[in-house]
Amino acid sequence: MKSLPTICPSCQSQLTVARLVCPECGTGVEGSFRLPLLAGLPPDDQRFILDFVKSSGSLKEMARLLGVSYPTVRNRLDEIIARVRAAEEEESA
Amino acid sequence: MTTDAAGERVARPRPTLYDLLFRPFGYVAGAQSLALGLAAIVAAGSLGRLSSMHFDGVLDIHTGRPAPLSVFLYEGIVDWLALSIALFVLGRFVSRAGFRALDLFGTQALARWPTILASFVALAPPCRRLAASIAAQALQPGALPADRTDVILGGLLFFAALLAIVWMVALMYHSYSLCCNLRGPRAALSFLVAVVVSEIAAKLVLIRILVS
Repeated sequence: MKSLPTICPSCQSQLTVARLVCPECGTGVEGSFRLPLLAGLPPDDQRFILDFVKSSGSLKEMARLLGVSYPTVRNRLDEIIARVRAAEEEESA
Repeated sequence: MTTDAAGERVARPRPTLYDLLFRPFGYVAGAQSLALGLAAIVAAGSLGRLSSMHFDGVLDIHTGRPAPLSVFLYEGIVDWLALSIALFVLGRFVSRAGFRALDLFGTQALARWPTILASFVALAPPCRRLAASIAAQALQPGALPADRTDVILGGLLFFAALLAIVWMVALMYHSYSLCCNLRGPRAALSFLVAVVVSEIAAKLVLIRILVS
């Protein structure tokens, strides 16, 4: 399956979902649905979050997995936290 | 390649030569860097004992009197601790990120590894003859000046030792910036303050230790 585009290629705004389809019976639902917060993050960040959860939240394990040092992983996590907070503020505004 | 928590294969980034030389702490930190750094401080002190290369201040480097090994080891340890403590305290104030003391102290120790090169360079005969000649002239103004070849070769080698110290400072800054997650003017200014404060503190502590 293709990866989900989240940014408009024309104006760089956040895309919304206009149509959802059941792959079993073909029923479609149309409207304007906001993407889940995590889906709006860049793919690298999503991958990092998934690995972090699967590593039971261990930064040491993440450092071993990514082949980088502990402070590098810690800083990466801080960047993602800042992006998530900014997205949350945008959503609530 | 390695595997993630779900058993999927994940590509590890390979550090470039630039990374290894100037940004090594993206790959090495914590206890590993502390062990390597302490080994580097002992190695630089041992070589310094042979070449009489002293590091009697955080950024100080010069040839001096022969002394017991303990003096050279004290210099390395005091220099490392003085800067690490100053950066730790400033980092806590300036940085909004949480960081581990082990990473900062470990990478600061490892950042001192170019002092091994500086001590090694000073072992070269032209450096030793040039240093001896300068010391003799300082004590007795009428003493014979150094041979021209020694002046040129020794001067070039001492310049290389100076470059090693510049490299060490770059590594120290990288360690601070990475461990405390600081960039830009805030990182540069606080690093500069820490260097000045720790330079004075290290000098005072070393004088006190070596005199007693």
